[in-house]
Amino acid sequence: MADPVLAARGLTKSFGSNEVLRNVDFEVLAGRNIALCGENGAGKSTLIKLMTGVYTPSAGQVLLDGEPVAFAGPKESIAAGIAVVHQEFSTISALTVAENVFLEKEPRNRLGLVDRRTLRRDCIDLLRQLGIDLDPDTTLDRLSVAEAQMVEIAKALRSRAHVLILDEPTAVLSHREIDHLFRILRDLRGQGMGLVYVSHRLDEIFEVCTDICVLKDGDVTSAGPIADYDHDRVVAAMVGRSLGELFPPKSGPASDAGPALSLRGLIAEGSAAPIDLDLRPGEIVGLAGLVGSGRTELALAIFGAARGSGAVELSGKAYNRRAPGRSLAGGLAMLTEDRKANGLFPETSVAWNFAASTLGKGARALALAPRSEEERSRSVVERFKVVVDHVGQPISALSGGNQQKVLIGRLLENTPKVLLLDEPTRGVDVATKAEIYRTLRRLAEEGVAVLVISSELIEVVGLCDRVHVMRDGALVAELIGNAITEDGIMAVAAAATGGVAPRPNV
Amino acid sequence: MSDLARAVRFQNVHLAIVGLIAAVFIVGVFSSDRFVTVLNIANVQDQLVALALVALAQTVVILSGGIDLSFAGLLGLLSVLFATFAGSDPATFSAAYICILALGTAIGALTGGIVAFSGIHPLIVTLATSTIMAGAALLHTKQPSGSVPLFFEDIVYARFFGFLPWGTLFVIAAYVIVGFVLWRTRFGIRVYAIGDDERAATISGVPVRLTKVLIYALSGFIVALAAIYLVGRFGVGDPRAGIGFDLRSITPVIVGGTLLAGGRGGVLGTFLAVILLALLANVLNFLNVSNFYLWIVEGVIIVVAVSLFVVRARS
Repeated sequence: MADPVLAARGLTKSFGSNEVLRNVDFEVLAGRNIALCGENGAGKSTLIKLMTGVYTPSAGQVLLDGEPVAFAGPKESIAAGIAVVHQEFSTISALTVAENVFLEKEPRNRLGLVDRRTLRRDCIDLLRQLGIDLDPDTTLDRLSVAEAQMVEIAKALRSRAHVLILDEPTAVLSHREIDHLFRILRDLRGQGMGLVYVSHRLDEIFEVCTDICVLKDGDVTSAGPIADYDHDRVVAAMVGRSLGELFPPKSGPASDAGPALSLRGLIAEGSAAPIDLDLRPGEIVGLAGLVGSGRTELALAIFGAARGSGAVELSGKAYNRRAPGRSLAGGLAMLTEDRKANGLFPETSVAWNFAASTLGKGARALALAPRSEEERSRSVVERFKVVVDHVGQPISALSGGNQQKVLIGRLLENTPKVLLLDEPTRGVDVATKAEIYRTLRRLAEEGVAVLVISSELIEVVGLCDRVHVMRDGALVAELIGNAITEDGIMAVAAAATGGVAPRPNV
Repeated sequence: MSDLARAVRFQNVHLAIVGLIAAVFIVGVFSSDRFVTVLNIANVQDQLVALALVALAQTVVILSGGIDLSFAGLLGLLSVLFATFAGSDPATFSAAYICILALGTAIGALTGGIVAFSGIHPLIVTLATSTIMAGAALLHTKQPSGSVPLFFEDIVYARFFGFLPWGTLFVIAAYVIVGFVLWRTRFGIRVYAIGDDERAATISGVPVRLTKVLIYALSGFIVALAAIYLVGRFGVGDPRAGIGFDLRSITPVIVGGTLLAGGRGGVLGTFLAVILLALLANVLNFLNVSNFYLWIVEGVIIVVAVSLFVVRARS
């Protein structure tokens, strides 16, 4: 086999005592497309950052064309011909396509002025070469997310590159747009470029990649040509355990008790479809659908954090003037999908974060006993095995999984009868995932009604007793028991959409 | 032409302002037969030069997502210093002229440096520097004082064809140059990039801090020009010359369609808005309406203009 264009040899990276990548070998070959798979936190981004000079390895080497290199920063790796399309967009919506593609590399004339004509022509040439059909003079705010993604790729390839790394490029693309992207990727591969495709969506990997490398908790658990793999083998390498170990057994049908939460004609702001939905005590109901199908908006409207019209009954009583504080008081708690932006108070202590929705609990005559929050939070730390030095530590110092445990602990302090959980295992390691699943099942068995919004189909299938599929703001199907399958959900979720809605993770 | 892209976006705003200017003009014509006279037209232009310059400075700062509230103090300080050192002959005048421009630029660069490296909101930084400079100006002189050579006053008050002062030509040149810089230099593209999305600009390799320093330096330079003009017009340096210019510099920027959040807009809208506001003041004067009503009108214009943009941004 040919020599790799870019390779990692025995790469190790530690942050303090935390080893996030161990002795990893990884090769990018010209004309091949290698998939880099793994769950969140497996070390994919760390590996990319080590190979592009964002991080310095604690041990091991990066080789470019067989020669060891030590990039001092992304500028050097870019100059060496390693292009990266980051998951986080770097496009600027006020600028035109041409200005975005050549930002900071604008062609200039002898006087140092930006040569607008050359800028435009270079952009047209580059877009044509990549098979991207966009007007160079359009400002980015007029483009769809998919088109912005194309601009992002053009921007990465504006100077000659031998390696193109794409970090979760399809997170926000529709089927048709993904097809377009794949066509471009095959072209580039045909031109002899080496591609790295970071993703955990298996069907895409099987469609576009030639090789695969699976990371789990910082180790390469499996690697080889994609032809040697099937769906189950990749999942097993990613998760490191069988699905049976990951999910607790499902309960029988929900009890005969009246619904804990009942929606009649609820319309979330910005949606057109009225929603009818019942949640009974003791069941875990999944809400599946594409990103942008309106699941989060629905949950926010129920919880009262966003406007909505229609009738809601909470434990049999009408609940119409909805607001977060009243929801919590009435036993309805919600976990946000965006932990950093909406869940945490990052610079305050674990104890305070834990107590944030029940501040003043246990206060006598308006005075809070000293350290009462610390004591309360200590019990959660023990119960959920949160890894923390002391509860006075700022919560930002904790890993994603541990932060999530504290937030779930916070919800439980409100002794909820209904739990709305939006992507409860996002950015959480496998062990913590299993723990969260067990906790949710136990809560259900104790009579809590649980609604789980998830884009991880494995999770929806493995955890939920009943699944509603959402599309364009409406509930379009209900799946129960054995009818809950990944294919079954996708068939409904992605059917007949306008081609703009993105897909969920697999 | 590719340069249509950014200009077209605000075409409606430009058209609306031109329409308003026409409307105010018509009201002016009917309000007094002294309105359309050579004297009055020149007078309106004299009134708008200083505002046009500070609004130009403010436009660039706001486009980059910042704000500069230091104009009150800066104008006062530069104006008393210029009047003190300008003397009466061309040599001292030129030296003072260059020094004041350099000082304005340096103070701007320093302000920009604080904004860029401290992470403190520019609102706070520039309010603080404004206060410091206002204090320094008043320590220097409590009363309007100093002088400029007669030839400079002659230039300021000279009119081509009786109605076109140097100041107007100067303002037009300044707007054309800044507009050109925004369009044809990497610095100009960076201003929009930073104003629209500082994070994305940073990961795209835009030197955000350096650009901010340059933006506030440019602002200081333009404000120094305004200070020199004001001294020429009044013949003295006044430590209170800048009072009100901090907020008044923002009105035409917002009315002209530049987004307070940064990244969208340009100098053409500001230019038209300055004309509109100056004409409005003039007509209200003819209608014997108190100047204080103009304050109310300006305030209402800001609220209405900003609400319109918010509504449009939502749709």
